[in-house]
Amino acid sequence: MAAFVIRRLIASVFVLLAATFLMYNLVAFSGDPLEDLRASNAPNKEQLIESRIALLRLDVIPPLRYFLWLGGLFQGDFGVTVQGRSVNALLEQALGSTLQLVTIATVVAIILGLTVGITTALRQYSGYDYTVTFISFLFFSLPIFWVAVLLKQFVAIGFNDFLEDDPQLPALLIAALALVSGLLWASIIPGSMRRKIITFAIAAGAAASMLVIMNLVDWFTYPGLTIGGVAIIALGSAIGFTALITGLKNRRALNAALVVAGLGLALYFPFQFGISYSITEWWMLAALAIATVGVSLGIGWFMGGVDKGPVMRVAAFTGFFTAGAIALDRFMMVWDDYASSGRIRGRPIATIGSSTPNLEGSLWVQGVDIYTHLLLPTIALILISFATYTRYSRASLLEVLNQDYIRTARAKGLAERTVVVRHAFRNALIPIATIVAFDIGGIVGGAVITETVFGWTGMGQLFQNGLNAVDPNPVMAFFLVVGGLAILFNLVADLVYASLDPRIRVN
Amino acid sequence: MRISRFAAATATIAASALVLSACAAPQSEVVEGSSITVAWNQPFYSYNSNTSFGNATANANIVYMTNAGFNYYNNEPALVRDESFGTYELVSEDPLTVQYTVNESTQWSDGVAVDAADMLLAWAANSGVLNTPDFDPGEFTDPETGEFTDEYPTDVVYFDGAIGSGLELVSQTPEFDGKTLTLTYDEFFVDWELVFGVGLPAHIVAEKALGIDDPAEAKQALIDAIVENDQEALAAISSFWNSGFNFTEMPEDTDLVVGSGPYTITDFVADQYITMSANPNYRGDNLPNIEEVTVRFIPDPLAAVQALANGEVDIISPQATADVADALAALDNVTVLGGEEAVYEHIDLTFENSKNGTFDNALVREAFLKTIPRQQIVDTLIKPLNPEAQVRNSQLFLPGAPGYDETVANNGMDAFTEVDIEGAKALLAEAGVTAPNVCILYASNNPRRVNEFALIQASATEAGFVIEDCGSPEWGGLLGTPGAYDAVFFGWQSTSLGVTNSSPTFKTGGINNLNYYSNPEVDALLDELDVTLDPERQIEIQIEVDKLLMDDFYGLTIFQFPGVTAFSDRVTNVDPGPLSPTIFWNVWDWEPTEAN
Repeated sequence: MAAFVIRRLIASVFVLLAATFLMYNLVAFSGDPLEDLRASNAPNKEQLIESRIALLRLDVIPPLRYFLWLGGLFQGDFGVTVQGRSVNALLEQALGSTLQLVTIATVVAIILGLTVGITTALRQYSGYDYTVTFISFLFFSLPIFWVAVLLKQFVAIGFNDFLEDDPQLPALLIAALALVSGLLWASIIPGSMRRKIITFAIAAGAAASMLVIMNLVDWFTYPGLTIGGVAIIALGSAIGFTALITGLKNRRALNAALVVAGLGLALYFPFQFGISYSITEWWMLAALAIATVGVSLGIGWFMGGVDKGPVMRVAAFTGFFTAGAIALDRFMMVWDDYASSGRIRGRPIATIGSSTPNLEGSLWVQGVDIYTHLLLPTIALILISFATYTRYSRASLLEVLNQDYIRTARAKGLAERTVVVRHAFRNALIPIATIVAFDIGGIVGGAVITETVFGWTGMGQLFQNGLNAVDPNPVMAFFLVVGGLAILFNLVADLVYASLDPRIRVN
Repeated sequence: MRISRFAAATATIAASALVLSACAAPQSEVVEGSSITVAWNQPFYSYNSNTSFGNATANANIVYMTNAGFNYYNNEPALVRDESFGTYELVSEDPLTVQYTVNESTQWSDGVAVDAADMLLAWAANSGVLNTPDFDPGEFTDPETGEFTDEYPTDVVYFDGAIGSGLELVSQTPEFDGKTLTLTYDEFFVDWELVFGVGLPAHIVAEKALGIDDPAEAKQALIDAIVENDQEALAAISSFWNSGFNFTEMPEDTDLVVGSGPYTITDFVADQYITMSANPNYRGDNLPNIEEVTVRFIPDPLAAVQALANGEVDIISPQATADVADALAALDNVTVLGGEEAVYEHIDLTFENSKNGTFDNALVREAFLKTIPRQQIVDTLIKPLNPEAQVRNSQLFLPGAPGYDETVANNGMDAFTEVDIEGAKALLAEAGVTAPNVCILYASNNPRRVNEFALIQASATEAGFVIEDCGSPEWGGLLGTPGAYDAVFFGWQSTSLGVTNSSPTFKTGGINNLNYYSNPEVDALLDELDVTLDPERQIEIQIEVDKLLMDDFYGLTIFQFPGVTAFSDRVTNVDPGPLSPTIFWNVWDWEPTEAN
């Protein structure tokens, strides 16, 4: 095992070194780093050219200059840009901003992609399956720069226009959304035609009435879940997670989940109008989340009886989602304050940057600000990777479901839930783990276009600006980080594969 | 049983929690304020734009808004004196002596007066006279970080200022007194007006470099160091002057953002934005109307347009492309100003050391110039971006600058606006040349130049020229290479209206004379220009040079690069000029509207 890791790492380092040599020279030979100065007629042009030559060692030919750069690199130094700025400092900033941008997008894309992929596999060849297949191929083939510009035009500029003057959903839109919701649920939930029609009617009716209520209470100006919405989410997650993890027959689990949900609801008012004002730092919120999970686990342990593990898990998930709903409601409470502030002027959804300049306010306002800025780039990033994840997880689960051991499991009388969750899903995750590991390695470098379009100065900008200025140093910093991550996660993928699948041994 | 008891306990907690929640009514959680936001394509990174490190427009713009000076460029463009800051006068022409006086009320944003100490520092830094001779900072610069290494000697003075611009001609320590400083030049220098200004606050530099707390003491220490040429103190001062003002986010020590202008930096988030608020200690006439100006860094032009449409920024000045022009045209409540930048496109013919020697003959030069479709290039490539674009007809004058109209009437370049194929054929016949080869160098990685080349090639081929495509992505390095090409087109960037800018380009052997042009008459006129102070005479000489260049068929200027500025209905009085600081030159005239 150790020998395998070391062998792989050594080989990778040499590959990376060779790649950096190539890359460095390609960049250095791609143009003239003095071009802007040559076209200038500044009086001290000669001095400017000389100082740039000295700064970037342009007197040394690129293949040799590479080794100067490499020497610096071994001392942990990425060099300077054409403007003389330290690449180390730039890299630090760029990496931070890119991670902020891509982390949420990646997590959401993985969760959403897996969920949708699995449900489509379970409802293979249903209307739902075909629709998802169509949509994911559509997203897959869209160029991201175009999607991003469209998102800005419609989801930001268009939606802000909608919000600006008395936001009311038109009746036609409500009807269309109700129809879509009805069709979606009818195709997901199996059964006879009659049952499908009932499902359709319930889903469409629920959607329509919810949207009408939203219109009536001016929801788009004063959004919120209120205690009612939080209660629905809390009870829904209590029942849902119980059904998923232990099955509803496990009364202990159901009771524990309901107790956790009830406790959460009880804390709704004191939190919203008391405790939340004293939360001023993000770590406090994180600590609260951890405490919630801890308390929920405790309740699960206390009420778990003989088989505590699954009960604790059910309780923890329920607790987390209930607390999440309460926090979400708290963020929504400051929405109107935020949107009508002098900095936002009624146009909350942002098209550029990561925060509103000079906006000051509580943690909740800052949170809403982060949300309005991350919304569009996150959607753009998700749309692309969502397609891959749904396809892979669907194919993988279908393959597993056709295995002999699944038939055996069914034959011995296991419940369908146990067969799917415990026997099929786990095995289906093995190939997906590889893909996820690859993707995580690639995300840092994969957001170049998204960053440019949304005005984030991250890794993509570092790369692009360097390339435009024929400046190898920042390009190499980008390349090393991205290449290093790719190699690292390739290795991680191999190791994860081996640990998930006992048939595979690494040596 | 146990479960129900537990549930009961939970219910009790819930009930008491409900009681607790009776207090604390919701209140607004946003802190209010209002501002104008401008988009710029590059982040700010140094408050000292005179060093080779900080020399960038992104820095110069911010420094301009946060620091006043003796003069600035308006949008005509012309140099305007700001007498509410200070005055200067030419005391004598031989030796050239200039006296600068800062007004009594002029002060820094921390309340300390602007005086001779500040001017003395500006002289020391930008003349480089006090720099230790033969010191090569490269030996002590870490090639990887650009910062000075630990071995950097502590007694070496090295100011990395705008050395070479002309101030180095003041080699004697200027005389000063209170708020006055007198510069005496060793040689005559015609652009003296452009090379001197008050830069960074001397008291801050000296306080930080020498560890002094009191501003007056710090100023005195700086004056003493310069007058007595105290190497050790100057070494510390120069080192701090070079690198102390480089920051990429709001510095913890706000002394570093002290300025003398209408605004002062109040917030700066790395790679996002920089905010300037009105400076309460500003005493000049250029009082701002807008409380707070924020510059957001948005590199992508289309992203800037959409941010304007979404109300996130109020003023944008993106690189003009057809896409940007279309996108802007579709916006409501937005004013779009076409305009010109300080870069102009021109085609030069190589007089010596050319590839084919085609242009050694004046008749062939004239014939070739007749085939250049200047009007067509402007109509097809520039007009879509700037509907008012016109062919530029002068090598020396910026359109709109004093003297431009006179020179156009005189130099005869406008006769070459439309192509004259027949005329060109006749000239080639007269020269007795058939199918002359012309190798044209241009930036082949620039789509606009590729289009220009196609237009020129089509037109010149009609007249019988054989055009070789010598375009290269590395055209910059090929400029001036003997035997590489016969003609070249690229852009020259005008950084000022200084008349000394012409000599390097048109004088025999000048650093920017890349086509080996040599005309003794032009040389003599430029020599005279470099020592002529009278603006009228300066213009006369430049008009003469312009005419001589055309008579020699030096080449043609084609167009001024199009610029575009757009602003929302939240602000008025935005009126960009071609020279740096382009849109910001009249930041104090910007006015908020009712929509603000």
